Order: sequence, then structure tokens, then C-alpha cells
Amino acid sequence: MLQYLVILLDNTSVAYCHADNPLKERNLMPLETLKKGILFGMKQNLMIQYIFPDYELPKEYVEVLESIDNVKIYPVGCKPITGINDGNEADVEATNAIPEKVKARNLVLRLTFNEMLNQKDEIAKLFASGARINLCITDVEQFTDEQIEAYKQVLNEWNSILLDLYKQGQPPQFNLLTDRMMLDKMHNCEAGVSNITLAPNGKFYLCPAFYYDEQMKVDNQLNHHQPTSDNSVGDLEKGLDIPNQQLLILDHAPLCRNCDAYQCRRCIWLNRKLTWDNNTPSHQQCLMAHLERNASRDLLNNIRKVGEFMPEIDIKEISYLDPFDVRKEF
Amino acid sequence: MKKKVGQVTPEEKNEIQQLFERRNGLNELAKILSADNTELYEKLVKDMGETGTKFQGWWDRMSQKYQWESAENGNWEINFETNEIYLVS
Amino acid sequence: MNIKTGHEPWQHGISKTITFIVTKDCQLACKYCYLVGKNVKERMPWEVAKTFIDYVLDHETDPDFAYESVVWDFIGGEPFLEIELIDKICDYIKVELFRRNHHWFNSYRFSFSTNGINYHEKPIQDFIKKNREHLSIGITIDGTEKKHDMNRVWKQPVADDNGLTKPSERGSYKDVVKNIPLWLEQFAGGGTKVTISSADIPYITESVLHLYSLGIHEVNINVVFEDVWQEGDDLKFEDQLMQLADAIIDGGYYQDYACSFFSEHIGKPMDPERDNQNWCGAGKMLSVDAAGNLYPCTRFAQYSLRDKEAWIIGNIKDGIDKNKLRPFLTLDRTTQSPQKCIECEVASGCAWCQGENYDAAKTHTVFERATAICLMHKARVRANNYYWNKLYRKLELEDLREQYEANKREMKPEIC
Repeated sequence: MLQYLVILLDNTSVAYCHADNPLKERNLMPLETLKKGILFGMKQNLMIQYIFPDYELPKEYVEVLESIDNVKIYPVGCKPITGINDGNEADVEATNAIPEKVKARNLVLRLTFNEMLNQKDEIAKLFASGARINLCITDVEQFTDEQIEAYKQVLNEWNSILLDLYKQGQPPQFNLLTDRMMLDKMHNCEAGVSNITLAPNGKFYLCPAFYYDEQMKVDNQLNHHQPTSDNSVGDLEKGLDIPNQQLLILDHAPLCRNCDAYQCRRCIWLNRKLTWDNNTPSHQQCLMAHLERNASRDLLNNIRKVGEFMPEIDIKEISYLDPFDVRKEF
Repeated sequence: MKKKVGQVTPEEKNEIQQLFERRNGLNELAKILSADNTELYEKLVKDMGETGTKFQGWWDRMSQKYQWESAENGNWEINFETNEIYLVS
Repeated sequence: MNIKTGHEPWQHGISKTITFIVTKDCQLACKYCYLVGKNVKERMPWEVAKTFIDYVLDHETDPDFAYESVVWDFIGGEPFLEIELIDKICDYIKVELFRRNHHWFNSYRFSFSTNGINYHEKPIQDFIKKNREHLSIGITIDGTEKKHDMNRVWKQPVADDNGLTKPSERGSYKDVVKNIPLWLEQFAGGGTKVTISSADIPYITESVLHLYSLGIHEVNINVVFEDVWQEGDDLKFEDQLMQLADAIIDGGYYQDYACSFFSEHIGKPMDPERDNQNWCGAGKMLSVDAAGNLYPCTRFAQYSLRDKEAWIIGNIKDGIDKNKLRPFLTLDRTTQSPQKCIECEVASGCAWCQGENYDAAKTHTVFERATAICLMHKARVRANNYYWNKLYRKLELEDLREQYEANKREMKPEIC
């Protein structure tokens, strides 16, 4: 069921998940489009999430933006963008570089795998900031089996720091390691299912990444007679139209529906990019998610050595890192 | 004339079927390999001999085990789908 | 007491099918052909074939190739237009399998589905003699001359501006039927594939009986998966199958002749958990084209697709991108089927083609089952029920039913 409307305010709005934003030219959403989008959200009872670019918006936008309850996702270091100094606790800062100071309550840190490895200590320092840290690896497709041990090691090192914070009574929040300890079912991105994106052109997309692909004229796989794709799933005039929406839902993902790496994003854009089907994750995604899951299990067990913690959560020991390898057992 | 005289187990069938297939493969390979390719040719000749021996050995063992009916100028055949042995005379 | 059924495919379920798309040319331009991009230009170079074979044999222990047996399949267009290349490929395969001590040397086949036009020619006959014990060759003859020539026509001498072949009005029946006796002599028990589209329906009964009269004991006949059906086709189809049922039973053909329309196993409900296997082998097969691109099945090559982009899973230089295979290998029946199929009371035997599913899907996915044949399947089930009720009754009256039940072999589920 749809719960969120993501509004990309500009073509250069900040990237906040796996997909980079390759668009360089500003293209601010027309004010009328923004008003219609907000109205759509209100009528559908959706929570609005604005994705901001790195420049200050015209004054006339401020009043419109604040006409409804919202969450803001904005680039780190940007000035208060709507003139409201006290941000919403749910607001999110997004960045491709480790900030000196975390201002918002939620930080999305987007790094490549090697950047992550090289800056693991700096990342660890963020755990004590009190903010929720969301680390997003931006080059998942490059991850190889040869990097498994390196990833295991860094997750292990972070576990030690997280454990110390728990012992000090300062429970940290780090998406890759602490989320899984709190989850008893899948908690994924759910693009196209619980959230939908409105782009500056007034059309809907499953998520910003599909809008970027269309703007970058990525090949049209649906019709090879036409060179470029139309990835939209409706618009503000005609409404939403999501073909095969059932394939975005967990029960129609054969590999995922029996999986317990609940913290995995199940990024459908990455699925589509790497396996060519929205509902099928790649080997790399499964590997990384299971390394994180296993590390969460270790953290949970270590916390429990100190005292009772989340007794209702059970993360079993498993012998595989990719559920594809054991798929016949399901 | 063809008459059913017995049946072998699936494992026994698999054994002879593999030998049968290998023998066919060797025979067809012999049509295209010449003595110019010495190493491979020698390997082929050796294999044909060994396979032929194993092949005949299977029939000897099975006929001894099951004591199938035989006939002068007759021979036994196996149906790979049913594992049945037929006497053809 | 025996009722003839179709042959189980060789090494059913334990063989890897590897297909060479040796040419996209064909003497014919069959009107129902799913290969919408046939042309005269794309012929497989020997170097591509060799590199591909080396790649496959180098990966003997790879899970994708860990099968007990292999079927080397050759497709076109018309594969026998490239008999020289095929001969060279097969010789190379045999030598390499032996040289490498590859376990497939003990269990391989070379498979062809041909239009039969040049079957008699010396190069093809020489090839057959050379590889006799390892060959599976099917000739497609579509029934009576009238039915065959409705669709299986010669191509026009000159291709269109895009290099694509176009149909003429000249049928090919006479050119094919003259080779049937030779083929049956060489491959006793050989079966033929017959395709039914909308215009063919009135000719089904006479065509199957005609094929029997030619000495073909196994007729594998299917409706096309594409959405070509007109209103009322299902009832006409049912009527034809009823007539065919009467002819087969009253004429006693059922003992020595098989027609794939009639099976004891179709038309039953399917359990969503126990009967959830994907029946299509796409993803477990491997196909290579003249450019060295690899596909999960030939049906995903561009010349087989009306609209969608080809689903290339790799190439002979870089190998297989296993991520591109994951959707195929995780496919099951219920995830791709609409609710009406999952709840269908006569679901068993209702087939699909993963390639057609992909081509017809609303999005880029193999998880959307095309259901254009729904009414045709239901019509088939009704006629099939009639057939078996009538036949069982006949056997009972002749006191042969028990003997039949005792002797019949268990059918494994058919995999495309």
C-alpha cells in the first residue's frame, strides 16, 4: 500500500541511495507541478518526502513546500532551505563524503566499497554522533567474491565499536548492522509499493533512479524498435499506472520471499540493472546482504553476553551467503 | 523372432548403456581420426579395445548371473527403456 | 495391450541442451514462424563455433554445465543449409570430448529440426552416415498438402530492403514429403512437429491421419503460443479434436500411433506448492549466435523477438554473466501466473514459452505468463476427456483395461 510520495524538486536533487544522480543541469520542478503533486499526496494520504538540490529555492516555493507535513532529504552543508531553522527530526542529510559534523538526525553516507574500506575508522566515529547512520555502497555491481573477507573484517571491526556503545547505554543506529537485530520481517525500500517518485516533469517513476535512466537515454529494452525508454508509471493528469506491480512485492520474488536478510534494501533498480528483472537480486546484492546479516547476528550474540537484548529476535546460523545457491531447498 | 528372456536392474542397464554409448562414440571417432594424429589415434585404438572387452564382459557376467535362454545363431538385445532382455534368433 | 505414447526425450531432465544458431537463412518463409528476423546475412563463422565449444568444454565442472549428458542442437533458419559448418563442428566436438576425457563423450547427441527440403542431398546423407548413432533428426511436415502449404511456403527470391525474407505463394509439401520415406528408414520411430495456428484448425484431423498414413507414428502437435486466436477458434478446435479422437479410437490407431494432443496427464488442477516447477528449460539451456552472443534459449535472440530487446547473457569472449540467468533459474509456475491460472481446475498440460512470455509482457520480465492459449487449452482438455473416457470404455468392454493399467509406464513431467 502506498504510504510515501517522493518529490524530486530538481533534476540535480541529491542522490540518497544506490543510484548516483548523473544529471548536471538544473531543472526545477514547475510550481504548478509541485502544487499538483502535493495535492495528489494529500488526496492519497501519502507522507511527502522532498528531495532537495544544493541551491536555495525561490521564495515562492517555500510556502508551497511547507503547506503540508513533510520530510526533507537534502545535501549535507546546505543552508536551511526553507527558512525553518529547526528541522524535522525525520529530515535526512545525504552526502558522498564523510561530514565533519552530523547536523540532522539521519545521515545517508554514499561511498564506494573501497572508499568505505579506506575510511572505516572515520565512519565508525559517526556511530557515537547520536544520528542514525545509513551507509549506502554505490558500486555494488563491482563487488566480487574476493572482497568477502575484507567486508567481513570491516563489519567485525564496526561491531566492536557498536558493542561498546551499547555497553555505555548509547544504543547506536547503523543500517548495515543494527537494523537486522530489530527486525522480524523484511524492511526494504519498497519502491513502487509503499513509495512512488514524482519527477520535475510531472510524471511518476518507481524511484529516482528510473527517472535518471530515462533522462540519460538508457537503452529501451521494452521495445528495441525505439531507442530510448519511457520509464514513467503514470503522471499527475492520468494518475498512477504501474504495470506488473505484483512483481515489486516480496511474495513475487522467489529468492527474497524466503530470505531473512531483513535489512537488505531489495533495491529494484539494482535488480533490474544487474539481472534485468525487477524482482531478482544479483549475486553481489545477496552476498553483501548476507555478510551484513551474519555480522548482525554476531553483534546480537555479543550484546546478549552482557545482558538480555531483543529476546524475540532469532538470527539463525546459515551455511550460505547467497540464497540462490540453496534455492532448491525452499 | 524376438522373445523376452529376462530383465536387468536399472544399475546394470546404466552400466551397459554407458559402454554402448562409448563404443558408438569410439566407432564414429574412428571414421574421422587417422594415424597422422599419432597420440590421439593410439589412445583411440587402446580405448576401443578396452571398451569392447568391458562390453562383452558385461554380457558374459549378466548371462551367467541370470542364466538367460539362448539359441544357436541367436543373440541377446537389451531395451534401454524397459531394461528387458530379448533373445533374437 | 499397449497404448502408444510419445517417446520421452533422450536423457530427460539430465541433459544440457546447447544450441548453435548456425544460420538465419531458410529456403522457406513459413507464415507462422516465430523467427521474425530471418535473413541471409548472419551465418556462423567457424571461429565463433570453435571458441564457443572450447568455452563450454573448459567449464566441465561449472554447475551450469554439470549435467550427465549433452544435446548439441543446431537451429536456423534451416540448419542443413550449413551442413559443412555443422560437420566441422561435430567432428571437432567428438575429437575434443575424447581428447579431454570429458564425461560427455559417453553421452551426447546431435539434434536437428529440419524442414526436410534438402534432407536427401549427399552432404546431409554423408553426415548422417558418419554420425548415425548420435543423431536425432526431426522433419517438420504439417499434415495434408493443403494444410502444409497454407503456411510452409518458399521464400521469395529477393529479400526486402531490410534483408528480411518474405513468403511467396509456393508451398513446400511436395519437396518435403518425398524425403519422408528415407527419413523414416533411417530414423524408425521418428516423430514430426506440427504447428497449429488459427487458419489451420479445420485441417487438424485430416492432417494427423495423413501423417499416420505416411508412416509417421508420432505426431507432436501444438497450438502456437502467440496471440493469434479469433473468437470461436476454441470451439472449432474442440470439434476437430473430437473428430480426431473418434478416428483414432474407432480406427484402432491408438496402439501404434501417438498424437500429443491426447494425454492422460492433462486437465487436472495443480497444487501451488507441490506442482510449482517451471516447466520451461530456458536458462538451463544455452544458445549461441553467429556473433558469439549467448542466450538462455534461442527464443531470446533478437531474430525471435517482435518487440523486446534480446536477452543476452554473455558472449564467447567474456563468458556467461550469471546474474542474467538468475531470473530464469528462480522462475516457478505460480510467481509468473495470474490468479486465474493458479486456481484453474484444468491447469495441468497448459504450456507456455518463456520467450513468448517475455516478448508479450507489459514490462521487462520473464515473470509474466502469456495466456493467449487459455481457451484453446480448455478446449483441448474437453476433447481429451472425451478421448480417454471413450478409450477406457472400449478397453473395459474388450476386457483389456486392467492389462493396460498394469503395463503403462510412468510419465515424467515434460520439460520444454
